[in-house]
Amino acid sequence: MIQRRVASVLLLCLVACSAPLRAQRSTEHNPTDQAIQSHELRVKMYPQDFAAYDGLGGAYLQKGRETGDADYYERAKVALRQSLDLQSSDFAASSAMTHMAIACMAEHRFAEALAWAQKALALGSGDPSPWAIVGDALADMGDYDAAAEAYARLQNPLASQEEKLGLSFERDSRLSSLELVAGHTEKAIELMRSAARTAIETHMTAENIAWSEYQLGEELFQVGDYADAEKAYLAALDQYPSYYRALGGLAKVRAARGKLDDAVEYYKRALAVVPFPEYAAALGDLYQKLQQPDQAQKEYELVEFIGHLSQVNREIHNRDLAFFYADHDIKLDQSLALARSELDIRRDIYTWDVLAWSLFKNGKLQEAADAISHALQPGTVDAQIFFHAGMIYERLGDVSVAKTFLHRALNLSPQFHVQHAETARVTLAGLEALEAQTGTATPSQ
Amino acid sequence: MKSFRLAILIALVAAPAYAQAPLSVSTPAQQGIAWAEAAIKENPDRGQTYNDLALAYIRRVRETSDANYYDQAQTALQKSLQITPDNFEARKAEVVILLGRKEFAGALERATALNKKTPDDVLVYGLVADADIELGNYKKGERAAQWMLDMRPGNVPGLLRGARLRRVFGDAEGAMDFYNQAYQQTPPTQTEDLAWILTQMADLQDSIGNVDGAERLLRSALDRFPDYYLAIESLARLKIAERKAAEAVHLLRQRNEKFPTLGSEYALARALESAGQQAAADAAFAAFERAARQRIEEPENADVALVHYYLGRGKNPGEALRIARIEVARRHDVVSLDTYAWALSVNGHYREAQSEIGKALAVGVQDAALFYHAGAIAARMNDETSAASYLNKSLQLNPSSEIAAAAREELQKLAPASAASAAPRVLNNNAEQIRMAGR
Repeated sequence: MIQRRVASVLLLCLVACSAPLRAQRSTEHNPTDQAIQSHELRVKMYPQDFAAYDGLGGAYLQKGRETGDADYYERAKVALRQSLDLQSSDFAASSAMTHMAIACMAEHRFAEALAWAQKALALGSGDPSPWAIVGDALADMGDYDAAAEAYARLQNPLASQEEKLGLSFERDSRLSSLELVAGHTEKAIELMRSAARTAIETHMTAENIAWSEYQLGEELFQVGDYADAEKAYLAALDQYPSYYRALGGLAKVRAARGKLDDAVEYYKRALAVVPFPEYAAALGDLYQKLQQPDQAQKEYELVEFIGHLSQVNREIHNRDLAFFYADHDIKLDQSLALARSELDIRRDIYTWDVLAWSLFKNGKLQEAADAISHALQPGTVDAQIFFHAGMIYERLGDVSVAKTFLHRALNLSPQFHVQHAETARVTLAGLEALEAQTGTATPSQ
Repeated sequence: MKSFRLAILIALVAAPAYAQAPLSVSTPAQQGIAWAEAAIKENPDRGQTYNDLALAYIRRVRETSDANYYDQAQTALQKSLQITPDNFEARKAEVVILLGRKEFAGALERATALNKKTPDDVLVYGLVADADIELGNYKKGERAAQWMLDMRPGNVPGLLRGARLRRVFGDAEGAMDFYNQAYQQTPPTQTEDLAWILTQMADLQDSIGNVDGAERLLRSALDRFPDYYLAIESLARLKIAERKAAEAVHLLRQRNEKFPTLGSEYALARALESAGQQAAADAAFAAFERAARQRIEEPENADVALVHYYLGRGKNPGEALRIARIEVARRHDVVSLDTYAWALSVNGHYREAQSEIGKALAVGVQDAALFYHAGAIAARMNDETSAASYLNKSLQLNPSSEIAAAAREELQKLAPASAASAAPRVLNNNAEQIRMAGR
């Protein structure tokens, strides 16, 4: 019984990242494939075994996470429904309900995820793990205080040492994200380092450890610590070779460090594993920078193709597409529509940011300023948000505020984006030149 | 006391900040019913969905005190058993209904059989524990609850049984700790569960004289689950203890607007009497007596209240003793033992009364009324030292309880040297065991 609980706890750490799209890598001897085969066999032999259906659902979720193939989430839900049709009132149903919540999170159905996680908790099984999903859903819905409350409940004084460590991983890794949103970057990084250590010490699955290292890399990149970010991404790849998230991270950090050819290669490798719109867009931007417009165009076309591949993809990649259109000044009305529809289900700071950016690109400057104020409200230290804020205020004619934000973006992470960092510099220089001409210099950061 | 305060604070501070809007328009049980009915519509041939429906109806009973939902639950279970004969979850739910209908002996028999069939099912141990606790088999109940906590540390149903046992064993602090752990694990959507736990905590605080703490907990319970009849009943008890009988009357009238129980009718009658509304009280007592008498032989009865009625206002101690004997033949929990002992005492059977109250005291329960009864019985037996000890304990435990005035009066009747004697605190082995149970 305890072994099953630990497995459940560990699986929960899967959901902290958004899931990409489709696998292209053969994984014949992947433990997840073996788990799928084993559970498929078991449900055929014992069609009344709810635990086997739950196990199958959990394995599909892991497969979806590893491959980015959203179809696995649907398969997981089918298996989990069968499990819950057989058992939905005993403690044993808690695992299937939690898995269902994870599947909903992966598909960005946050309200459903919240409901399933709460149903799992209502069984009172003593496993606090579903609080993690409650917190995740609430965070994505923009209720960070409530998310923190939920994460604080990821404790069980009666649990074994191993379970306690599992819970501390879940709590630390998630609180790290909240600290990041609150602008407490040092604390966020400290928590994420702790979570990564716990993942290693407790011998979590390679992919789980890799995710922890990758996430640490993301936080380090966000504060402009490119060297340590690169180390973290490489550590992730050591754990789980060809881990697409780490490849994407490495591509980003290499681009920031001026190694554009390396960055191209890493994005290609990431895309070979998972055709993820964000990677295709970034690769297209790199090609643009390298004066290869034809290659860039191919990648941009790929972005839209992936984003519209299926209904699930449209839901998962709404925000990526909205950014992509806005960044590239194409289909701006669609960008805005996507951002607005995303805000209906997801009200975190990053959705406010994309909305602000889309509004800005559509010339709705005051609305953009309102939206970016929501993104900035928790105190997040994020170069991209600062850049967007700077550009919005520049267009609104508030030179002082615009300069402050652009300075903050560049001071924080001088190469935060392959194209936007340069735009920030040029805009800032223009503002300073303007001030010099008019003699209205105002103190900026 | 420090951990008591902390537990109350946590319960009060941890507001359901993120209960979802749709849940505010229907209760958890109503939602459960709606979900199960939708699932049945989609797949009418799945037994488990009928089990879910039954469990939701059972929850609705606790939300409303309307026992008619048990019939609907039973119907759903019959359907489930038609589809999947003898399925385990349906059999478990049947035991829950038996417990709800106070058929404790039958419930124990069925739960024990299920436990033999599937000895690793945690919730079945909970059913065994419930039945044993109700019947007064506390040792057996403790063993079952301990299994729950050992098999799944920290599970909420296990913690709640543990809390109840700790309270019965006289470990109020330990009970509060378990209630608090259970509360912390309960999601904000489960508004009635939260309110129920808060009400249990409040009753515990009330029992040790912390009236303010109890009231805060009850207000919090009512915030989470408005008009919750259990919280209102408890609040009315507090008001009577505070000599605010008119408020108690108002609360109990409100509570009895929907699905009154014999217990709540009796409580209203007493409140009316305390408030000086004699005519209304007379009518209410008469109505209670008529209804309660019809159920004396039924499992779901108001025998304890009826015994106390006849011992007091009803002025029929002989009938009280007759009914108490019927009840104690069914179950020997501390309340039934105490009631029986008091009925024996009022009827002049002091030695037998002393024996029966001794059985209740041996469990370890710390209850002001029980200590008062023990003291008064000891006084009748001319054991003034014991009498003073128990009466002092009663007053120390809860100086503002309903029987505090009677305890003081009884104490004054004793010789001064006896009355001044301090009440020794008896260590309770059971309490020590269950205290360690979940740690």
